[in-house]
Amino acid sequence: MIGSRNPMKDTVAIANAATTGFEARNTDRSPGSLALEACVDVLRDTGLTAADVDGICGTIPTADYVQAALGIPEVTWFANPMIPFVNHLAAAVSAVHSGLCDVVLAYHAAYRLAWNTASALKDPFRRALGTAGVPPAPEVINGSTGYTAWASRYLHEYGASREHLGYVAINDRSNALRNPAAAMREPMTMDDFLAARMIRWPLGLLDMDVPVDGADAFVITTAERARDLPHPPVLVNAVSLGMTDKNVEDQQPSLRHTGQQVVVEALRRRSDFWIDDADVYFPYDGFTIITLNWIENVGWCGPGEAGAFIKDNWDAAGNRILIGGRVPVNPHGGALSEGGTQGSGHLREAVHQLQGRAGERQVEGARTAIVTAGGFFFNAQGATFRVD
Amino acid sequence: MPTEVADEQLAELFRGQPIDHDTAAVFRGRLDHQLLVHRCDDCGTWHQPPKPICPRCWSGAVTPTPVHGGGTIFMAIFLHQGPPAEGVDYTVPHPVVTVELDEQEGLRFTSTVVGARNADIRIGRRVELDWIERAGAPLPVFRLAAGAGR
Repeated sequence: MIGSRNPMKDTVAIANAATTGFEARNTDRSPGSLALEACVDVLRDTGLTAADVDGICGTIPTADYVQAALGIPEVTWFANPMIPFVNHLAAAVSAVHSGLCDVVLAYHAAYRLAWNTASALKDPFRRALGTAGVPPAPEVINGSTGYTAWASRYLHEYGASREHLGYVAINDRSNALRNPAAAMREPMTMDDFLAARMIRWPLGLLDMDVPVDGADAFVITTAERARDLPHPPVLVNAVSLGMTDKNVEDQQPSLRHTGQQVVVEALRRRSDFWIDDADVYFPYDGFTIITLNWIENVGWCGPGEAGAFIKDNWDAAGNRILIGGRVPVNPHGGALSEGGTQGSGHLREAVHQLQGRAGERQVEGARTAIVTAGGFFFNAQGATFRVD
Repeated sequence: MPTEVADEQLAELFRGQPIDHDTAAVFRGRLDHQLLVHRCDDCGTWHQPPKPICPRCWSGAVTPTPVHGGGTIFMAIFLHQGPPAEGVDYTVPHPVVTVELDEQEGLRFTSTVVGARNADIRIGRRVELDWIERAGAPLPVFRLAAGAGR
């Protein structure tokens, strides 16, 4: 039962967002240091002090660490939700709307962890943060294997090709060239994409998000209060975290009944606008296959048609997607090229685009944005945003 | 007569796998080369992975029940690299298949395929259950069934 009730609509705003930028190498820094830098930047740029914050929301590092490190005197609400980052947005917006707190500092540090990259494993301080313990069996379907398996199903059902996945990666890379915060800023061709090392067929190295060090931070407060702060408030129009009962990777009935369809249905019922009125679109891209499915599921095209749709909406000059010659997709470079931020980068860029602060990536006159984060199984989520 | 093995020993044998009070019987079954899947005594519904109640009717009477092991490949991938595992070196990409079991639509089990060329491991092919040993514990795997697939 997907409801349409949405009393929080436009009552809560993202007042500001900041980033450290991202690097695809082991920095000599802790995740705490990265997150705190972004937190300090966003609070200063919003003209707020530690005493103005009464809510904290983040996963890496934990809320108690951030409160202590920033000397935030008292909070009346905090949470350490699971990634991806629309979970944090949903929690913070709910807390502000319900009055559990007024000003939330939300943040996320992306960090190259020892279980994720071989070079991170060489850093003793990263190893100390934890490894995967007993390695999982190769046949374990969680995580990367599950997405790869559904990629095999997608290619089989729709006769799609590796090139279709490649468009997603190339679009992200072309966009990242104009984002100083992005980790990957060398142009990518289809030949580059197809020649990349195969990791788990049918997905190769360039189908997977890039492990990075860096952090994003956000100030989330009432729309009323945000209007008195220095930057244009980005109003949260609708949010959904979607999931179905068959949410274990290999038991999901099909690509046509996943958390993504639930998110889309909920957002369409609760939001004041949808794709026809979106100025910029942020589909998750932790794996290329996720993006093709989001593009189909939000309604830009039908099932299995994303490859052809992208081809039809390809901006040859920019070597990137421009839907209807107008709407860019992940203009910051996404998880595949800005860096694997578990959605915080998508959200931050949405904020900066709607505030008119996206530099040479700025979508002229952008007033609405749609973010659809996460994958298929237990982490599909989305939100719509607008400015006054 | 099922193999007698203490919980302590069972947990050690299947270290790193999702073994708990609800799944121990499934891993015990492996010692006898039985692939067990939870089935509801009341409504007959199978479910995967093992849960303590039936997701369809909420009955607590769920019994780990042998499946025949025949099925159809629903998804198929090939790992060019991956976690260390005995007998897996990835010089030939390691197949991982999700098989739709014959017992019930949408009931699936994921494992590898043995005794086949990777080129022959394709979505739609029929498979049957087989067993190998890995790190001293039996592992349910699949083998391509004779004859053409779908």
